[in-house]
Amino acid sequence: MTEEEKESTAKRLWHNITDTIYGMAAHDMSRAALRTRASMEHLFILITMGDLLGIPILPPYYSLRLLPYVVPQIATWKRRMLREKDVADAMF
Amino acid sequence: MGFKDVFLQHPERRYIMFGGGGGVGKTTFSAAAAYWLASHGKKVLVFSVDPQASLTDIFKRDIFGKGPVQIMQNLWAQEIDADKHIKAYQQEIRQKILDMYGLPAVPEEIENYIQAASAEPAMEESAMFDAVVDVVMKGDYDYYIYDLVPLGHALYYLSMAKVYDEWINKVTKLREEMREYEEMVSRIRREKVTEQDQILQELLYIKNRINTSAGILTDKEKTAFFFVVIPEAGVINDTQKAAKMFAQFNVPLAGYVVNRVIPHKLLEQNIPEYLRHRIAMQDQNLVGVRTAFGDQVLALVPEMERDVTGLPMIEKLAAGMFA
Repeated sequence: MTEEEKESTAKRLWHNITDTIYGMAAHDMSRAALRTRASMEHLFILITMGDLLGIPILPPYYSLRLLPYVVPQIATWKRRMLREKDVADAMF
Repeated sequence: MGFKDVFLQHPERRYIMFGGGGGVGKTTFSAAAAYWLASHGKKVLVFSVDPQASLTDIFKRDIFGKGPVQIMQNLWAQEIDADKHIKAYQQEIRQKILDMYGLPAVPEEIENYIQAASAEPAMEESAMFDAVVDVVMKGDYDYYIYDLVPLGHALYYLSMAKVYDEWINKVTKLREEMREYEEMVSRIRREKVTEQDQILQELLYIKNRINTSAGILTDKEKTAFFFVVIPEAGVINDTQKAAKMFAQFNVPLAGYVVNRVIPHKLLEQNIPEYLRHRIAMQDQNLVGVRTAFGDQVLALVPEMERDVTGLPMIEKLAAGMFA
């Protein structure tokens, strides 16, 4: 084994250790944070683009300005806002 | 104090507005005040935010949607075409969506939303007031004279501005919280912090626009708001109510100008009974005006012998206003 190969193995090992620690300690945390962030995103779209569901909140003149930024999220947002709630929601 | 004195004593009041019910002479007075100021060496822009604008009629020039049009030395007039403004704005939004996502066409659902949004009744008012910000912020003129929309619309816009301001503060806060979560995740994952939140930038822009346009209407130092009334009981009542509401929104009320006062001189002539009755009724209503508005009544402008259109008639009316 050359010096270089030794170094890369050590690097990989170190990566695996940090990834494992991340997985054990922080992954859930960051997942929860992302989840909260996504809920907020949907809340945000609701209060700016409410007209799409028939709930006018922001004056349309200005909500149009924000429209381009939320185009990709609109489909998932609508599904989430309009779907029926069931027990599974509480579990996942 | 007379109408003229307001201008002489407060040269810093550069935004002049005439408000009042429909058909009392807001446009006429806007044109006359603009004429007087322009002929006294001030550079003046008189502009209308009323979709049923009539500066075109008054100056006998087609100015609708053409930007500032010079009427005479120092005097420019502009009628904002809300419809055109909204259409251009919609196109801008569409183009932005296409550019941002490299799409060949705007998705149907989004397109529907864009079209539905512009059918909202509030759209036109917002577009008008937003356009005013552009006009006034350029600062090319000594005086800006607003030919306002009828009272209800202006009040509606002012109340909207107040609500929106609070609302946008809340949304901005939500947006900032979202940003914190994003940063937290980045820290945990040891990633680089994501790029600037463009939506937050847009929200701050919107807030600034709404505040500026409402701010002009309520600027104590630079704005003078005049109510136009005619000596009729109904109008006096309505104006009193409106004045109270405007005061609640901190619109700096500079005084009242009475329009269409039938000259008393007529009584010396041989005039029909009908006209004598009208003058007697009007005298009563003028007492009403005095009781309601006291020394805030700045000028009584006589009823003209014919329509006020064209510069010679405007000059004549201005002479009566600024007497």
